[in-house]
Order: sequence, then C-alpha cells, then structure tokens
Amino acid sequence: MQFRLEKRREPSKAMIYITPVVAVVLTMIVGAVIFSLIGYDGIGAVREIFLTPLTNSYKWQDLGIKAAPLIIIGVGLSIAYRANVWNIGAEGQYVIGGLAGTGIALLTYGMTGWWILPLMVLAGMLGGMAYAAIPALLRTRLNVNEILTSLMLTYASVQLIYYLIRAPWKDPMGMGFPQTRLFSEAARLPTIIPGTIVHLGVPIAVLVGIVAWFIMTRSVFGYRMRVVGAAPHAARYGGFSENKTIWLAMLVSGGLAGLAGVLEVAGPFQRMVPGFPTNYGFTAIIVAFLGRLNPLGVIVAGIVLAITFVGGEVAQTTIGLPNAATGIFQAMMLFFLLAGDILIKYRLRRVLPQPSVGAA
Amino acid sequence: MPNRLELTGITKQFPGVLANDQVSFAVKPGEIHALLGENGAGKSTLVKMIYGIMQPDAGEIRWNGEPVVVPNPKAARKLGIGMVFQHFSLFEALTVLENIALGMDAKIPSRELEGRIREVMQTYGLVLDPHRTVATLSVGERQRIEIVRSLLLNPQLLIMDEPTSVLTPQEVEQLFTVLRKLAAEGCSILYISHKLHEIKALCDTATILRGGKLVDTCDPKQETSRSMAEKMIGSGLKDIVKAEGRAFGQPKLVINRLRTNKAGHFDVPVDNVSFTVRAGEILGIAGVAGNGQNALLDALSGEIIGDDREAITIDGFGIGMMNTTERRKRGLCAVPEERNGHAAVGDFSLADNSVLTARDRLGMVVMGLINSGAAKTYTGKVIADFAVKALGPSSTAGSLSGGNLQKYIMGREILQKPSVLVVSQPTWGVDAGAAAAIHQALVDLASAGSAIVVISQDLDELRALCDTLAVINMGHLSAAKPVKDFSIEEIGLLMGGVHGASEADHAIPA
Repeated sequence: MQFRLEKRREPSKAMIYITPVVAVVLTMIVGAVIFSLIGYDGIGAVREIFLTPLTNSYKWQDLGIKAAPLIIIGVGLSIAYRANVWNIGAEGQYVIGGLAGTGIALLTYGMTGWWILPLMVLAGMLGGMAYAAIPALLRTRLNVNEILTSLMLTYASVQLIYYLIRAPWKDPMGMGFPQTRLFSEAARLPTIIPGTIVHLGVPIAVLVGIVAWFIMTRSVFGYRMRVVGAAPHAARYGGFSENKTIWLAMLVSGGLAGLAGVLEVAGPFQRMVPGFPTNYGFTAIIVAFLGRLNPLGVIVAGIVLAITFVGGEVAQTTIGLPNAATGIFQAMMLFFLLAGDILIKYRLRRVLPQPSVGAA
Repeated sequence: MPNRLELTGITKQFPGVLANDQVSFAVKPGEIHALLGENGAGKSTLVKMIYGIMQPDAGEIRWNGEPVVVPNPKAARKLGIGMVFQHFSLFEALTVLENIALGMDAKIPSRELEGRIREVMQTYGLVLDPHRTVATLSVGERQRIEIVRSLLLNPQLLIMDEPTSVLTPQEVEQLFTVLRKLAAEGCSILYISHKLHEIKALCDTATILRGGKLVDTCDPKQETSRSMAEKMIGSGLKDIVKAEGRAFGQPKLVINRLRTNKAGHFDVPVDNVSFTVRAGEILGIAGVAGNGQNALLDALSGEIIGDDREAITIDGFGIGMMNTTERRKRGLCAVPEERNGHAAVGDFSLADNSVLTARDRLGMVVMGLINSGAAKTYTGKVIADFAVKALGPSSTAGSLSGGNLQKYIMGREILQKPSVLVVSQPTWGVDAGAAAAIHQALVDLASAGSAIVVISQDLDELRALCDTLAVINMGHLSAAKPVKDFSIEEIGLLMGGVHGASEADHAIPA
C-alpha cells in the first residue's frame, strides 16, 4: 500500500487548528516511549510535565508568570514571522530591554513616584527596539541575513549583563555577588492577586495578545505584514516597500521582547542577576509557530509551553528527569508541528497499485 | 491501419467538477489533430491522462489499436508519446545540451547525445546551437529545445500545449513547417490551442470540448473561425464594439525618455522610451517576451521608481518619482503579467486582494483600519460584473482557475475607473468568451476617456483592440503608428529587432 501527497484546492482551515493539537499529542506519546526506553518512567514523565501543572492549583501562578514573557515575545515574533522577517534574536532584545529597565531603576534608586515604572517600561521597549534595529539596518542597507546577526547579537547581550553587574552596576552591599542591588519599591512590578506572585505582567501579556490580534486582522499595518510574507512581489505591486516592512517587523518584535525583559526584571527578579537570560526569547519561537503566528493562538501556545517549563521542574524533583528533558519535549513539539503543517496544503491519499503497461 | 490513439468514454471526476465526461475521439497516424476548448473545458485534464500524469476514472485508451494503461509520463514516452508543455521546464543557467541531457530517461554520453541532437535539428530545420546558455535564448528558441527533446525519442504522437502563445509570426510559420514535416513522416500531432486561424491553417481535424463534454469533431478547413468559436463557448460570439470615428482627447499619459537600470542578471531594462497616449486611446505594445516588457510595466506602475519626475506625466503632472500608491491616487492603475504572486496573493481571499490595489481609491481604509465590508462589497461587484467563477469574495485567489483570476484582476482595476490603465497580457490563457468580455471592458473604459496601454505578445489581440501600436525590442520602443498602417510583416520584423532600415542577419533564422 502506498500513500501520496496531493495538493488541496484550498488550504485546509481545519488542519490549521488540528496540527498543533496533534503535535502536542504526538510529543506526549513519543516522549513517553523515548524516556521509557532510556530507563525513566516515561508515562510518569509525561504526566508530570503536561498534567501536574494543570491539576495542582499551586502551580497555576507559576504558569501565569512563565507564560507572560513567552506570550509577549511570541506575539512580537508572530508579527515579524508573518512578514517573513526572521528575528531569531528576541532573547538578546529581551536582555537589552531588561538592562534598560534596570538602568532606570538604578538611576532612580531610592526615589518614589508613579512615573518610575512607566519610564522603565518605555526604556525597556526602546532598548529592545534599538537592539533589533542593528539587524534591520544591516539587512536593509547591506543585505545581511537577519537570522545570523540577530542570533549572534544575543550572545553579545549576555556578555553585556556580565560586564555591567560585575563592575558599574554591582550591588555595593552584595558581598561581591555579581548582581545589582534590589530595586526600590517604586521600581518593582506590583502583584495583582494578593498573596501570590502573579504580577501585572500577566494581564499585560493577555492584553498585548488581544491588541496585536486586532491590529493584525483589521489594520493596514497587519495587512502589510501578511501580504509581504505571503507574496513579496504582490506587496511591492500593492505599494508596500520591503525595507520599511523589515524595519517595522524588527522594531515591533524587538520592542515587545524588550517589554517582556523589563517586566521580567521588575517582576520576578527585582534585580539584574547573571541568571536573567532564561531562553524565553528562544522558546518564544516555538510559541509563535505553535500559535500559528496568530496572536490569540500565541496566548494559548504560551500557556502550553509554560506548562512544559513548570512540569519539567516538577519532573526533576519527583522522578529525577534531567532538566534537558524539558528542552527535548519543547523541540519535539516544534518538530511535529512543522512536519504536520504540510497537511494544511496537501492531503494524504492512498494510491492503489497500478497494473503495468498492458500493451502488445 | 489502426488509429494511432483512440479514446473511448474517458471520464474524470474531481471534487465538485466533472472535468471529462464520456469523451471519445481518435487520432489517425500522421494527422494533425486540434483540441479546442475554453479554459476549464477539460483539455488539460484529457491530455494529462494521455500523457500519464493522471488516470481516468472510466473509459479506455487504445494505442495503435491495443488497449493501454499509462501509469506515468515515463511509460507514455516509452510508448512513443511526447509532449511540449506551455511552460517550459528549463534551467536558465545551463546550456541547451545540458538541459536536454537532464530531461532524458536514459543516460546517453554527451557526445553521442550532441550528435543525435544535431541530426534531429538538421532533419527538421530547427536552428539552435547546443552549447548556448538557455538564458540567452528567445522564447521561440527555448521552445525548440523542448521540441528537440521530444523528437529525440522518435515519438509517434506529439502533444503541443498552446505552443504559439509566445512566438513571433515568423517563428509560428517555422514551427508549422516543422510540424507539417513531422506529420508527413507519420507522427501524429495533438495540437492544443485557442487561436482559431492557426488551427484552420495547420490542422486536419478539430475536436471541440465544452464543459468537459465533446461538442463536435469537425474539419477546421470547412469551418469559419467564428463557427468554431461559437461551438467552443456554446453561444453567439460578441465582436468588440468600438464607436465609429472616435476622436481622441488631449494627451493624457506622456512618457519622455523613460529608462530603468538593469536589476538582475537576466533583466532586460528599457532605455529611452517615449510615447504619448491620448484620452480615449488604446496603445498596444507588441514584442516577444523578455524584451523589456516587465521593466516597462514596473517603471510605469511605480514598482520601479525612476529618478526623473517628468519622465512620466499624467495630464502634464510629473509622477516619475512617485511610488505605486501615490500613482494610483493620481489615477494610474496597472496589471502585471504574472497573476498569482504578483497581481494577486494566492493565499488571500478575493476581498483581501481587492484591498491590495483598491484600498485608497475606493476608501477601504479609515484611520489605518481596513473596512472589510467595503472590500467585500466591491469584490462582489467585480465578481458579478466580470462573471468571475468563484464561490464569493471569501474564496482564496489561488483556488480560481487562471482565466477566472485574470477576469477578477482586470475587473478589480477597471471598476476603479482609472484615468490611465497599463495592462500586460490582459487575456493570456483566458478563453475566447472571457477575452471578448475583457476586451470590451477595456474599450468601454477608453470610450469613457481613459488612456490605456496594453502590453501583449498576442498580435491578434493587439490588432483587434488597439488604436495605435508600437513594438518593443531589447528595451527599445519603436515609434507608435495607427494599427491600420502596420502590416503583420512589418510588426514581425520590428519584433525581431529590425528597425526599418537594413535587414540584420539575426532577424530571421533560416
């Protein structure tokens, strides 16, 4: 029995929503098999990673604060990727956003005032934008591939943290630890549910997703991103310049990554530490694709990926799964998703064996 | 002697469409047999089944009297069926010889292959240097590669899909000579076309399809072009109605020494192009594909922005340095040659495609937001007025057939009532009925006072449609003259690059 891929007349709408679900299910099955084969409790691992974070209400707040940065960055990336602008360096823009916010927090140390947090947020977004502007400039002026430049700049940004927190920004009372001092009260993100760690960044993430969805579906800006990605030639014919689109895409995705960075440093961290880069910027790439490059989908995908993070930690303590297992599960998800995506434009058909040429 | 090919009751069902319904006809040895029909009549499907690309759901194919199943094109070639497609599959950066070698089923040493190629070329008078790079060849020459490739297999049946759509009149004559010679040697030819006078000149028999059904098998020499066209579209054919003795108004679109820079390796830029189109006038630009038509269209539409404001003027206002959006606001709309991916986005709905070019002229954008209701309404009007076969404004552009998509695109621009319209290949691949409707819409737009530029490789179209004509060759445009002052021969020579004076040797390959 043979199968053949056949092009569909219209891309399947159903498949757009089915493949992410199938990808998650396949990840669970294959993950269980693989971890059983190498001697762990595979089914237990899948249960701990995918179910415990949902069934254990103590873990819900962790889910929220892990999902928030993933969603904010993922929304920005989903917009850029729509326009075929491949910003891989959200992690770096997230770091620079966090650093810019830290800078304001340290400058205003000891001061009070409602304006400090908004100023930090603004600085964080501008920082992320500025860092994304480098690949944009190189791409539009010199035609340098933005995938490489944005990725490499990530590593530079991490070195910048190490430099700043070891020398100029080092906590004077820190007993030599490489970290900044704890932000003053006015520079910390307030929690929104008393008694939990759920901070203002969580509702902001949901709001960002909803606003971005509205802009992408209803506005000329969203149309521009979609048409440049779907048919660059047609976009030029329709009056959308390619360079302007690259700039917009890089600035929006960089700005949102910067926003996530500043919310993260002012929320859960409340100071800059060497462990600030937590790969949210890279994981958000999976979030963007799992969410079908649709901001509303990104909200859901952000939660799914947050589950694997939280669940991965649970599995580490309960069944001794290595930390890398989380990465394996996340990578499998992206792999199955991209592989499954072919079914959107093609369908699988069984081919009956053909009788051979029957002449003569 | 049995028939070379005989089809009996061939039926092919696609989801929602019956592409072929009980089609039966026969091709005799040495016969040139035309397959005629509108877009979507089922010609391509039928031919794909003969060539083994698809399988019929029902019916029988007999080859030289024996029933056969053709599972794939390789098996078809083995039987002796060759096919020359409308769109060539050639690598531009490789030579003729390398391209032919890549397309062969059996591996043949290149020296032996070259010998056989030269032999085939000699026999049929196909002039071509096997060592030239494909990128340097004209479309006619490229087609010769495909023909040679098929002839190397000594076919008993050669299928030609719309072979003359991109050729100069002289090249068409040469092709016919080759085909007649092949037929005289006993090779049957299945000739797909919608150019009726060619079928009358070349073919012995014509099979006419309509809506997947066989309408008639007739002798084209006994029929008139009109009678065949009416069988094809199933109703009376409308002529283009032009008001007699139309007077042209003031110069509307004036092009003055327009030039573009060479963009890519294979780009042909335009140089020093000047012409004037008056209100109510349709100017045709003839030429073989790849002579700067794309650069000219892009320079006029604003996709290529020039450095001289006065190189392009509308009503005396210089727009040479404006982008496409600003030019559209000034009243200049354009339709590029490539439909899917350039004039329209295949993955987008038709309504979203209307936003692409009509958003500013028709107020589809308010405060940066798209008024999707207005886009849907306008798209619905285009679909209705231009008889586009689509489920509605939400259908994706990619789901439409080529002809229907072209009708939609032309309608989208024409209904914006531009004061200047520039179109490239307005009816390429569009059936006779739809072509007539598009032509009439262009004439009506001109009558209402617009200036129209039609870039086309179809001389019949240009001669029927246009008031004045100019010929483009290697990026240079000849002087424009009234259509009736041009003879076919004169146009053909200009297309080949002879500008009036002496006959250059490369004009007509012997």
